[in-house]
This record gives sequence, C-alpha cells and structure tokens, in this order.
Amino acid sequence: MVDLSQYLPILLFLFVALALSAAFVFLPMGVSRLTGTHNPDAEKLSEYECGFPAFEEPRSQFDVRFYLVAILFIIFDLEAAFLFPWAVSLDITGWAGWITMMVFLFELIVGFAYAWKVGALEWE
Amino acid sequence: MIGIEHYMIVSAILFVLGVLGIFLNRKNVIVILMAIELILLSVNLNLVAFSAFLNDLVGQVFAMFVLTVAAGEAAIGLAILVIYFRGRGTIAVDDPSRMKG
Amino acid sequence: MSYASSFYFTLPEVILSLSGLALLMVAAFAGKASARIVTILSVAALFGAGIFTAHLLSDPAFALGGDAFSGVYRMDAFGSYAKILIYLATIGILMVTQRYFDSTGEYRPEYPVLMIFGAVGMGMMVSAVDLMTLYLGLELSSLSSYVLASYARSDGRSAEAGLKYFVLGALASGILLYGMSLVYGFTGATDYLSILAAMSDGLSGGMLFGLVFVLAGLAFKISAVPFHMWTPDVYEGAPTPVTAFFATAPKVAAIALLMRVALDPFGAQVDAWRQIVIFSALASIVVGALGAIGQANLKRLLAYSSINNVGFILIGLAAGTQAGAGAMLVYLAFYVAMTLGSFVAVLMLRDGEGRQVETLADIAGLSRSHKGLALCLAVMMFSLAGIPPLMGFWGKFVVFRAAVDADLILLAAVGIAASVIGAFYYLKIVKVMYFDEPAGVVAGKGDAASWVVLALTTLFVSPLGFLLTIWLGNWTNRAAAALFFAA
Repeated sequence: MVDLSQYLPILLFLFVALALSAAFVFLPMGVSRLTGTHNPDAEKLSEYECGFPAFEEPRSQFDVRFYLVAILFIIFDLEAAFLFPWAVSLDITGWAGWITMMVFLFELIVGFAYAWKVGALEWE
Repeated sequence: MIGIEHYMIVSAILFVLGVLGIFLNRKNVIVILMAIELILLSVNLNLVAFSAFLNDLVGQVFAMFVLTVAAGEAAIGLAILVIYFRGRGTIAVDDPSRMKG
Repeated sequence: MSYASSFYFTLPEVILSLSGLALLMVAAFAGKASARIVTILSVAALFGAGIFTAHLLSDPAFALGGDAFSGVYRMDAFGSYAKILIYLATIGILMVTQRYFDSTGEYRPEYPVLMIFGAVGMGMMVSAVDLMTLYLGLELSSLSSYVLASYARSDGRSAEAGLKYFVLGALASGILLYGMSLVYGFTGATDYLSILAAMSDGLSGGMLFGLVFVLAGLAFKISAVPFHMWTPDVYEGAPTPVTAFFATAPKVAAIALLMRVALDPFGAQVDAWRQIVIFSALASIVVGALGAIGQANLKRLLAYSSINNVGFILIGLAAGTQAGAGAMLVYLAFYVAMTLGSFVAVLMLRDGEGRQVETLADIAGLSRSHKGLALCLAVMMFSLAGIPPLMGFWGKFVVFRAAVDADLILLAAVGIAASVIGAFYYLKIVKVMYFDEPAGVVAGKGDAASWVVLALTTLFVSPLGFLLTIWLGNWTNRAAAALFFAA
C-alpha cells in the first residue's frame, strides 16, 4: 500500500533547489572569508560618518506614520494595476467589463472613505 | 535558447530562498515579509512563464490576482508588525524572542 | 449560464459583501458606539445568507447545482451544506463575542465586519471550482483572520499570535500557490474539470509536484500534522472568541476545500495522494492526543483537540469514497457543535473581577459552584472523547465505518486505539471539574446569549441530536453525491 518511491523526484528536486539556494546564501560569505583578511576591530566595525563618531544608531527608527502611508500606498497603487489590462481589453469585454470595473472601483472607494474617516490619512 | 525549464529552475530557487529566508532569519521581521514576497514572486514567474509557454492567457490573469493579493497581504503584515512593536514599546525590528516559528 | 443565474447562485456571497461594505461605512461614520447595532445587523446578514443557502439547497430545481460566471464558481449541495455550517458557526461566535471585550472596552464595529468578510471568503472557498477563485476566497478569509488574531491591541500575546499566524499562513499560501502554478503549467488549465481531464491521462512528475505542494499548503490551513505547529501558540494568544472562530468556521471551509480539491480535480489520481492523507491523519491523531496531555491552558488543550479531530476527519478523506466524504461532513457538523460549545463554556469562565480564566487549575471543582456550566462542559468533553450515547461517538463511528468499507482496516484500528489515548485528557477535565477541591476562582454568571449558544450546542451533541440525524444524513448524502457528480 505504501509506495513512497513515486515521491522520490520531489525530494530530489527540493534537495537540488536547496543546495543551489544554500550556495547563493553561503558562497559569498565563504568567499569573502577566504579572500580577504578577516581581522575586525572596533574602529573597523564602527560606522564612518565624515570623521566624527556616529551621532546615533545607523538603523534609525522610522516614525510609525511612514508605515501607515506605505501600507495605504501599497494597496491603492497595486489595486490600480487592474485598470491597465481592463483598459486595453474594454472593446472585448464590453459593458459587462465596464460595469464590473465600476463595481470594483466602488469597493475601493468604500475602503478609501473608511481610511479617510478613521483618520488614517492625517499626518498628525 | 532559454526554455521553460530554465524559468522553472529560477523559480524553484527563488521559492526555496524565500522559504529559507523565513526559517533561517532570526533577526528581522521585515526580512520575513520580504521572503514572503519572494515566494509569491517566484510563483508569478512560474505562472507567467507557463502562460507564455502554453499560449494561454489564464496564467497572466492569475499572476495579476496574485500580485494584488500579495499587496494586500504585505499591507496587513506591516499593520500587524506596527501593532506588535507598539505593544513592546519599540518599533526597532529585532528578534521577537517569544516567537518560535 | 446568464448573468442572472450567476448572481442568483452567488447571492449568499453578494448579500454578505454588500452588507459588509454598508456596515463598514456605518462603522466609519457612527464610530465605536455603533458596535452593538453593527453586530446585530451582521448576525442578520449572515442569517439571511444562510436562509437563502438553505433555500438553494432544498429547491428541487437546483438539485444538481449549477455553474456561475463561466465555470469558476459552482453552487451545489456540497457548497451549500458547508456554507450553512460556516454561517451558523460565525453567528454563534458573534453572539458571544461582545461580552469578552467588555472588560477592556476594545470592542469595535470593525470586528463583525471582518467576520462577515471572512465568511464571504469561506463561502467562495467551498464553492470554487477554479484555482483562481479558490485562491481569492482563501486569501479573503485568511487576511480577515490575521487581523482578527491581533485584534486585542492591549494584549501583547494577541499581536504576537497575529504575527505568527500571518507569517506561517502566508508561507502556507505561498506553498499552495507554488503547487497551483505547477498544476497549471503541467495540465494547462486552472478549472477543476480540465485538470481532472488532464490528470486522467496519467500523472506526470510536474503534476505530482503540484499536487503535493497544494496538499501541503492546505494541510497548513487545516492544521494537520506535520504542519500543525502554529496552532497551539496562535490559539492561546488570540482573543478567546477569535480562537473559537479559528477552530470552527475557517476549519470547516478549509476541510471542505481540501475535500473538493482532492476528490474533484485530483480525483483521478486518488492513489497518488492517499498515502499522504493517511500519514497526515494518523500523525494528527497521535500528535493531537499526546500533545494535549500535560497542557495546563484550556485554549492550548482545545488546540491539540482540534488537531486530533482533524486527523479523524482526514480518515474519511483517505477512504476516497462517497461514503467517506459523507462521513466527513457528518463529523464536521458535530465537530463544529462540540468545539463551539467548548469554547463558549471556556469564555464563560471569569473570575470575580470579570477577567478571563483559562487554566485547568482554575476550573477545579467547578461543579460545586456552577452546576449548569460544568454539566455542559462535561457533555462536550464526553462527546469529544467519543463516549457512546453522545453524538461525538456517532461522528467517529461513521468515519471509521467508511474507512473499513474502503479496506483501510489497519488505519481504522490505529485510529480507534489513538482515540482511547485521546479520551484520557478529555476525561481528565471532567475529573478536575467534578472531583477536585474547588479552586473558587470562577465567579459570576454567563450572559443570556452565551447560555443560548451553549445550550443549543449541548442539545445538538446530546442523545437528542439523534432526532436530527435523518435530516443530517440526507443532507450529507446529497452533498457528498454532488462532489462525485462533478467528477
């Protein structure tokens, strides 16, 4: 009943893919270790900022408000991607296509109105 | 000549890189989000390559849907991240110690 | 296949989407004060969609179902049955939610709206007959679930559960999608009938890859072993009503989806996936039963219980027959009732200050102070353990019978043995409630809505449920037949 041999190709495939992607991850690390002299000290590890000591953490904390803008941007930007194929194929899809897109845009507008009303668009 | 199998290999490598990115990464939740995007993009590559290979538009339509849903997914991921780090009093992205997955 | 009939068949989803959008606007303009009215309207919308689904199910004109929108969506007895379960579970959870958030004041009208959108997505999942519809429905329900998991903003565990659920859920979607892209590439189509036709000619390596990845992604969604590791953490961290939701409605949708995918497009290659399903079923039963032992947190314990139950349901799928599919649907109905009832009972456990109580030690001696609650919880536990007069036994019985009829006697025997191990921790809860010294932590009475839901689910799994089995058998037979009619 149990015949696992037919799953063998999958295993092989995954191992090959795993090996290749592992090579991508570890090869650059290994090569840099082997070719360069690996000799870190405090001076080398600190950030270079025109001769002064660093003022703050280089990975500075972003204001949460930027994230909010980014979130809204991603959604409305990419949902608009549907408009392009729709526009060039409108002569084929006809009124049904037009109405469908209007329904879709209506839904987007409802989402937009919600975001506006709850104050997601305000900076302060 | 670049054939369908080359696209499939690239896509498989991207897919495995994405999965590895989720499981090996211990520092940065944003990188996990990127790894998820990488997985979805490998799928898109597959879909578009198959679509061209089969001369069938369905794959490209599917890729459009995947693209837009991925945007929604990324947005929700970012939003959850913001809540998560607000709760911990910091938004600096470091090892979420209690996460085991 | 006109637009009129398409919209008629999808009317449950249309009703829910429009009410969801309208209620979202109410939520935005009326603010937090509208939470109660929005909840009531959401329940009404779900009820309306459920009534219409029942109408479609009982209308003899549509006995064979029908396709909508050029064959990406199918209305049939199977989809309608699953949808009714989903809507009922969602209604039950909406009824008991508000009180949970009373102490923190976090209940906002967006909560029921998210549930409605989740229900739309789940309805699409169970009715999809095209990989694209499947994916969109799955994502709609998953995205709502991610937000719901991190809903309790003041609770750090909730945000963490949301993050974890999001990362692993997105990974599962990715695996599923990768499988779908391979299936599309090697069969040349995304609709189930064409995939079935292409797979009937033989299974190529690429198709097998696709099939395995699709099943792995779906196993994640139903939290079957070996893709179960997110379940206990997410169930523990998420707010309890949301956990109850995860354990019922999305699980029904994902299992129904798995059934349709396995038996329709992949139905020509049952032998290719049967071993995977058998392995997953056995592993889920064993891991669920062993993992639950020693858990002190009731929500974690119920999470393992749900893994365990998924294993039993998968036994029906391993049979791969119409009887097996019917048995799964019967089991699902009782599973939803038992899980919903147990979680509602857990929700009603509060201490003197109205805080939620969720550990096993806290319910010690519950039977002295809260006779009714302890009785209902005991009935649920006996039923989950599969003790005969209760309906949980009936669910297990039909599943095992289907497995034996399909010559999977060994699988059935191991399943029965493991269910005895599982009975141990269910009975431990009963023992703690009835025979341990009272901890005296739980105080106060539950609200009326919770009692209604708890009483109804208890009656359903009690021996009185046998009165409904004629109907249930009739519906599940038709639903399972619909699955095999398309094949």
